Amino acid sequence: MDSKVQSFPTHDIAGRPLAISIRNVSQCYGQAGSAQAVVALDNVSLDIGRGEFVCLLGPSGCGKSTLLNIVGGLVAPSAGDVTVDGRSVRGEPLPRQVAFVFQESTLFPWYTILENFRIALKFQDIARSEWDSRALAALDAVGMAGFARHYPTQLSVGMRQRVNMARSICVGTDILLMDEPFAALDEQTRMVLGEDLSILLAKTGKTIVFVTHSLAEAVFLSDRIAVMTARPGRIKTIVEVNEAHPRSPDFMLEPRFSDLRNELYALLRNEIRQAVAAQRDPETGGEVSS
Amino acid sequence: MVMTASTWETRNSRLSYAARVRWARCLIIVAALVALEIYGRLFADPAFFQPPSKIVHAWLFTVLSDARITSALGMAVFEIAFAYALAVVFGAVIGLAIGATALSRRAFFPLILLLYAIPQVSFIPLFVLMFGLGAASKIAFGFSHGVFPVIVAVVGGMKNVPALYMRGARSMGVSKLGIFRHVVFPNIAPGFFVGLRLAMTMTLLGVILAELYVSTAGIGYFTRMFAENYNPAPLFALIGSLAAIALAFNGCVRIAERRLSPMRRSAQLS
Amino acid sequence: MSRSTFSALVIQVGFLAILGGAWYWSTATGSVSKLFLPEPAAVWLAFSRLVVTGQFWSAVRVTLTTIAQAYAIALIVGIAAGYLVSRSRFLIDVLEPFIAGLFTIPITLFFPMFILFFGIGTGSKVAYGASYAFFPIALNAIAAFANVETHFLRAARAMGASRWGTFRHVLVPSALPVLLNGMRIGFFICFASVLGGETLSSIAGVGRNIAQAAELMDSARMYAWIAFVVLTAITLNLLIGGLERRASVRGGGAW
Repeated sequence: MDSKVQSFPTHDIAGRPLAISIRNVSQCYGQAGSAQAVVALDNVSLDIGRGEFVCLLGPSGCGKSTLLNIVGGLVAPSAGDVTVDGRSVRGEPLPRQVAFVFQESTLFPWYTILENFRIALKFQDIARSEWDSRALAALDAVGMAGFARHYPTQLSVGMRQRVNMARSICVGTDILLMDEPFAALDEQTRMVLGEDLSILLAKTGKTIVFVTHSLAEAVFLSDRIAVMTARPGRIKTIVEVNEAHPRSPDFMLEPRFSDLRNELYALLRNEIRQAVAAQRDPETGGEVSS
Repeated sequence: MVMTASTWETRNSRLSYAARVRWARCLIIVAALVALEIYGRLFADPAFFQPPSKIVHAWLFTVLSDARITSALGMAVFEIAFAYALAVVFGAVIGLAIGATALSRRAFFPLILLLYAIPQVSFIPLFVLMFGLGAASKIAFGFSHGVFPVIVAVVGGMKNVPALYMRGARSMGVSKLGIFRHVVFPNIAPGFFVGLRLAMTMTLLGVILAELYVSTAGIGYFTRMFAENYNPAPLFALIGSLAAIALAFNGCVRIAERRLSPMRRSAQLS
Repeated sequence: MSRSTFSALVIQVGFLAILGGAWYWSTATGSVSKLFLPEPAAVWLAFSRLVVTGQFWSAVRVTLTTIAQAYAIALIVGIAAGYLVSRSRFLIDVLEPFIAGLFTIPITLFFPMFILFFGIGTGSKVAYGASYAFFPIALNAIAAFANVETHFLRAARAMGASRWGTFRHVLVPSALPVLLNGMRIGFFICFASVLGGETLSSIAGVGRNIAQAAELMDSARMYAWIAFVVLTAITLNLLIGGLERRASVRGGGAW
């Protein structure tokens, strides 16, 4: 076993500060060795630097969401270690360091938008006097300040996800974990939100781990893309995208963009086929969710 | 927060989850019987409570061996069956009539819902006054309880046919009768069976209310007599017999539902 | 008001007018015995005489107190039991079928036992009403607390919510619509079963007065009492329905 696991690494080999370090993480559902046992993640290691935007890209069921949940402390791994800012994470969330954005809008429908922000800040133990100013600032940043008194159900899906993102940002954590946040949106909305996100990254220098199965999204947003295999999920390779944030839509028109996209597709094609075949087989199929 | 079935399964794999649920249920019943037996034998005032063993004894040697009581129970069974049959037939007919057009639905459905919400129990004396002390008043009261869930289920099913299906059927040039047969009717079915189940519960309530109200004959006479004589064992045995009858009727409705339902989407209905 | 709403209203009014007319006509011509169906005027007279008596208001007070006590017990016990059961899938699978199964047989069956245990006074009615209303409240509470969307709970955990914070801001508001539905059903069951208990066997209350009027063959008085119960039930029903509509507008609908 790597000696760094015990010493909680804070820097990578090149000496750059680390935000997240994933070491030899495996996740297994069901009893090991039994017929129902499913290995979702198999010995995954990955270091993520401060201010980096890393995508986890892979076929459905490859365990990328599971990996994100392990990093965020929502799920404890069967084996291996995760450290965030040098602190070990084992199934206990670190709400001061890490905020989540999920695929479904997790704005509580029984509260107005503003009340939703207040609750999030309250859960974070942030002083009551700061609630409204921070909430309105965050809403203003995504152009939704006029909707503070609306209920989430009164907004469109795209607006809701925009607000959802703003809520996770306003709690002020350094790390943002995003689990397919744009998956339920239409192509055009997701491009706009993707641009917003890139601008945000450039402005705030947050570390973002982003799960997606969209190739274009991965290329457009990431500094590095961790391409994962079909179940059991492993990191197959890491693709780097050298383009400064904020990225403009023109980036998508460059030949480099389509080259990277094609490279990713070539890497993933067989994995996707395997995943689809596994889904057809009822014995091993279906995403195992936490 | 909520523990999922799968985590329980992995914790203890010697017994399957379903088996452990069944065992736990049996254990609760046995434990309750033992507790009642101990309580009844050692602590309870025999004028108010008797242990299960004495109740079984009373069931065998008082309830079942008294022809007057068994015939009262048989009468109750007949009343429930008859009232239920009437409720289903009339409920379906009235429901179809009300649900037939949008206008009739808007006019009469609110009235039906209002009637359904009235505590019918206040009408018992009226029913007994009109239909006498015999079976007729009990059947009528059971019917008036059971008919509303059927009407509501039928009208509800006809009201909530998804517009998409109607548009699809019309686009294929299906006739009005065809739309009823192939689109509206299948849409009534699942809700109708839920209505049938509810109607059984309500019919049972109506008949038993009327039986207990009339204390000069039938079951009401015996429950009053046993209670007034502080003779709880046969009282509990008689109530238990009625509960068993009620469970049997509910069971019949469930079996009928399983047999007849054209598309049993058990996951949605149960 | 749209045209179809208007025609529906016309039909409703017409239908009720025909019923009223039939009542008036059948009693005026003597084709129905006055014992079964007294004249509208006689019922109105009995009603107007009834509501000014102290006996009327004391009966109403007894019944309302009984209902309030029974409902309070059913609410506290039903919601607490439902919440506790909902905390574990195993408990739900073991216990929920017992509660649901028992609720399919009329609890009225056990009314003689309540009389035996608690006497003929209001105690037996409180116990009977509370037991009956317990079932829908507990069953809905189980469903309400067990079916909170997991992604809301996960989000609360990720935001660092305490147990109490999760309960207060996620679990309870999410469960509320289903919980309120159970409370509404429970209320009407409580209302009906207390009245029923009083009618079957008691010494006081509205139900007792209905039964007594019937025993004395005073049909006009019995109809007056029944009319009072029916009007009360309809008013309560419309009131609660209106409250529910307002609540759902505020929250932007069900979730």
